[in-house]
Amino acid sequence: MTALKIDRLNKVYTDTYSGEEVTAIADVSFTVREGEFVSVLGPSGCGKTTVLNIVAGFVRQSGGTVVVDGRPVDGPGPDRGVVFQSHALFPWKTVLGNVVFGLRMRGVPRAERNATAEEFLKLVGLDGFAHRYPHELSGGMQQRLGVARVLANEPAVMLMDEPFASIDAQTRRKLQEDLTGIFESRRPTVFFVTHDVDEAVFLSDRIVVLSRRPSRVREIVDVTLPRPRRWQETAELPEFRRIANQVNDLLAGDENEAADGGARAGDAGGEPGAA
Amino acid sequence: MTAPTARRPAVRRPPRRRGVRSTAAGALWFFGPLAALVAAWAVAVSASGAPLRVFPQVTDVLAALGELWTSGDLWRHLGASLRRTGIGMALALVTALPFGIALGASRVLSAFFLPLLRFSVALAGIAWIPIATLWFGYGDRAVIFIVWNAMFFALTYNAMLGVRQIPTELLRAARSLGTGRLRMFWEILLPGALPSIVTGLRVGLGYGWRGLVAAEIIASNAGLGYALFQAQKYFQTDVIIASMMIIGVLWLLMDRLLLAPLERRTVERWGMTGAQGT
Repeated sequence: MTALKIDRLNKVYTDTYSGEEVTAIADVSFTVREGEFVSVLGPSGCGKTTVLNIVAGFVRQSGGTVVVDGRPVDGPGPDRGVVFQSHALFPWKTVLGNVVFGLRMRGVPRAERNATAEEFLKLVGLDGFAHRYPHELSGGMQQRLGVARVLANEPAVMLMDEPFASIDAQTRRKLQEDLTGIFESRRPTVFFVTHDVDEAVFLSDRIVVLSRRPSRVREIVDVTLPRPRRWQETAELPEFRRIANQVNDLLAGDENEAADGGARAGDAGGEPGAA
Repeated sequence: MTAPTARRPAVRRPPRRRGVRSTAAGALWFFGPLAALVAAWAVAVSASGAPLRVFPQVTDVLAALGELWTSGDLWRHLGASLRRTGIGMALALVTALPFGIALGASRVLSAFFLPLLRFSVALAGIAWIPIATLWFGYGDRAVIFIVWNAMFFALTYNAMLGVRQIPTELLRAARSLGTGRLRMFWEILLPGALPSIVTGLRVGLGYGWRGLVAAEIIASNAGLGYALFQAQKYFQTDVIIASMMIIGVLWLLMDRLLLAPLERRTVERWGMTGAQGT
């Protein structure tokens, strides 16, 4: 079953400063199957966050279609939960209040939503913190809460926008393992945006490598590493290094081509909608 | 997954001990400067030899306070003033918050109303007293109108700013969790704007309190402003000073007993103080 289908996506916007038309996304197509973990990887400013924002319904595309669970995307909705780099937790709600938020919005009865919340807080290791406020948690715990808040709402696809980019390196590795563990036990559909090659290889079933702006799909790389994955064992596998090198080469090749001829397009400005 | 370690585990400090200590220290910091002012005043009056009819001595003012207390006038004026402030504030909250939040949420609305709002802020409160007395007559309604009017614009403006300061990602998170447009108001916009709204309430209540005193001088037959005005008529400088002190002390108490606890229980509890430059 296809959970997410992106077809000939195109985004042109007018630069508010220069007034020029800028093509952020030239032509991007790929699909994410149900229960699959797909990362979108590309050089910074390539428009990968814009792709996510269009899928989330925060930004409207100029052309092409995005279909989630058989329905074309039209604005944000609970079928596409988003985990943000900035966590974006509600500071005035407790940990519990954040997790049940989506369920409350959808009118799920209190007893049921509290049971669901308990399950997901346990899943991310935050049981016992239900009555704390987000600012009382560490960065890593905050992001796990961000994941629990989305998963508790049972979206068709979980969108993750560089969720670990603002977290220190050691905690990041731990969170990546935690996320893999959650993915392996519950098999949500995940669409993950990152610029970190190792992270993408470690987490994903497939990696969509985008070119520089205006972005196109450069290649879709299958990650055939066995699960369950742990950093210590997985990073040792020759297959891990082979795929990481392949992806690095794809990104580097893109850099070289850009230096040869297409540098103009990449220098037009910042990535719209990027944090 | 292993048990996570909180970065700041001791979040809830033992409430009682901290309460007692901070209350004692708070009281000292609260009354200390006032006591110094009173002492300076007592020394100045006796050293200068100014006529007591013009510059009453501390003891005269205390006697006047005592008389206001025992005669019941104090409670009558105090009650009238606080009731009007309360009603005016309640009206300002229920009108200004929805309006200000709507302005913050809609570029079109704010583009239209912002120039009007800036214009009105300059006029808010006291400048409306003459027309308020023509519209509502001399009495409660004119005074309440002034309190409402003085608070309304500051509250509206700060509610609007507060909504605009909510990070875009919080709004996006709410919408992608299924929050409908109407529920956004209670669930996200109001609490998200609260740091700024508390600032607006503090500023607005200050305007409202001053507006109240001015309006009571002109448009009423009870209240602290009225007491002030009556005392002036009969050259009772001791009563004037006593009333001024009551007005000032009441404002400090409102700030301490109403606004500070509100801030402590919401904005500070939620860790939202650092995020907003209010």
